[in-house]
Amino acid sequence: MPSQCAVCKGKGLCGLPSCPITRRFHALKDTRPVSEYMGASPSVFVGSYGYPRVVGGPLMINDTDNPLDWVRQGFSIDDIVSVRSRTIRGGSDLDVKIPNIGKVQEIALSAKPLDVEVAFEKPVSFDINFDGTVTPVGMSGAMKKLDVIDNASVSRIVDRCTSDTDLKATEAARIMFENGTDVYKITNLLTAGLLGVKRRVVPTRWAITATDDMISTSIKREVIKMPALPEYQVFCGTLYGNTLCFILIPSNDWRFEMLERWQKHSLWSGDEETIVVDGEKGLSKPKYSPIAGAYYSARLAVLEYLKSIGRCARVLCIRDISGEYWAPLGTWVIREAAHESLSHHPDRVGTLGEAVTSASQKLGTSFWIPKMGLLKDIRQQKTLFEF
Amino acid sequence: MLKATIEADIFRETIDAVSALVNECRLHVDEKGIRTITVDTSNVAMVSLELSASAFLTFAAEPCEIGLDIEKIRSMMSMIGKTDIVSLELDDSGKKLKISFGGYEYSITLLDTKTIRKDPNAPNLNLPATFEVPGAMFYDAIKASGMVSDKISLAVSADTCVFTMNAEGDSDRIKRELAGDDVHYITCADARSLFSLDYLKDMGKSIGRAEKVQIRLGTDHPVQFSFVYAGGKGSVGYLLAPRIEAD
Repeated sequence: MPSQCAVCKGKGLCGLPSCPITRRFHALKDTRPVSEYMGASPSVFVGSYGYPRVVGGPLMINDTDNPLDWVRQGFSIDDIVSVRSRTIRGGSDLDVKIPNIGKVQEIALSAKPLDVEVAFEKPVSFDINFDGTVTPVGMSGAMKKLDVIDNASVSRIVDRCTSDTDLKATEAARIMFENGTDVYKITNLLTAGLLGVKRRVVPTRWAITATDDMISTSIKREVIKMPALPEYQVFCGTLYGNTLCFILIPSNDWRFEMLERWQKHSLWSGDEETIVVDGEKGLSKPKYSPIAGAYYSARLAVLEYLKSIGRCARVLCIRDISGEYWAPLGTWVIREAAHESLSHHPDRVGTLGEAVTSASQKLGTSFWIPKMGLLKDIRQQKTLFEF
Repeated sequence: MLKATIEADIFRETIDAVSALVNECRLHVDEKGIRTITVDTSNVAMVSLELSASAFLTFAAEPCEIGLDIEKIRSMMSMIGKTDIVSLELDDSGKKLKISFGGYEYSITLLDTKTIRKDPNAPNLNLPATFEVPGAMFYDAIKASGMVSDKISLAVSADTCVFTMNAEGDSDRIKRELAGDDVHYITCADARSLFSLDYLKDMGKSIGRAEKVQIRLGTDHPVQFSFVYAGGKGSVGYLLAPRIEAD
């Protein structure tokens, strides 16, 4: 198995025609092909293949498709895969530069799932595809006809941000987030070409990371001006085999470093475990992270926390993935795992040594200690005021 | 109040020297010139800069403090031609600085000086070895070291009076020794400290332009660099805390 799998997560960097790992889940199930659908459409999806001529349309399922609900209702990975297997992705050809995709936009705008009637060109059958960033979808088919039956009910803040064509997407995302719109909604609006000055339809995969990045960059601007955290805090939590541990280190100097370990025989690793580390300092992050969407999701979660307590810190984040995470469900898993981790009571300690020990205990391993450059840096680098 | 004109080169060197470490600073202005002293956000490096009124082509000022967003000015600097004359003027409210050059007039909003952290006190250091090396030679060694490692040791041996820069990476090593005519000692003493190359690379660009840089070095102590620019009318001092390899 190529060693780059953990970085690529199914994007196709190895050059093989299809990803050998995601193909494992390319299961076939006995569902009867359907040629039309009547029911709810909670969100929209746009593929990235063939950009700028992409395929996109409504996602159709008579069930919730918001990950927050799945977590709240205690869904297992199997439950989620099953929900997604029943989800149909309707597609029609789109040119990203012509974002006037009326009916699809209505679905993205609406605060509650809209009822739609769809006729497919050919009956759609079960054909699930997995990928690291986006949530899997069970069936997909080209649409002959799409009718939206309901009227969209649009929240005031979403209405304001999407109808203002002088408001940049970054600003719009920030305003909506601050007013309680969740990232899943904002991602949907961005995907459907409803945000920004020069509007574009944005493939969902890109919109997910873009939303995380836009929001976290604006929170970062506030956090770096806040006073330093008064003590070391260690958080740890697990969701779907993803253990996320955060070590918050008092400092005025915002830094973030994330380590991701795919344990032996877990999803993206083979017989050897795979470790990827990436980090940043200051306001901007120059390159796309090799940890991919997970990096941006985890960073957003911890910045939200820092903002909520009004403090600045340096952050070490360790994501340890066990074999229990058997199907890639998308970046939202990391976002919710991070929220889960940060919702616990932290271990509050007075020294870096205690914080590292506490994190090692919670994680049950200390392999990460020598791998984290920021930790080494903090331990070795003196400050001027120590003299 | 501030109204002054300055050559583009000197203006650029002034901004570069400070922007190496910080994004914003508090500038003290009086009739003698301008000065600033500030530390980076992680309290690892300090920069102090003074530029006397005589370095300006024209200079009229009354004592005041200005909160400068260095990043903003730096992003504008690519527009300034090499031979341009830059004129600076503080508006009456003291909240905007007008920077004009080559037909452009740029007005930047200043930062409230209350939001900028207060001037640090330079630590009292006992650094036994003091010597001068050519700025370009030092910067070249820093650049070379950056290819193999993220830290570098600077050392002086009292016996041989050789200044050694040594960078060790996981697999490779670069060593540069300066002796004889290349180093001019004021006091030669045993000293050795380890420093982060990240910071040295940032400072190195300004140091590299100086004909001579004075280095003061101790053992497991900060290092101090000082050099002049603008024909001796400006001076820059950098202070960098060491790394200690304890484990």
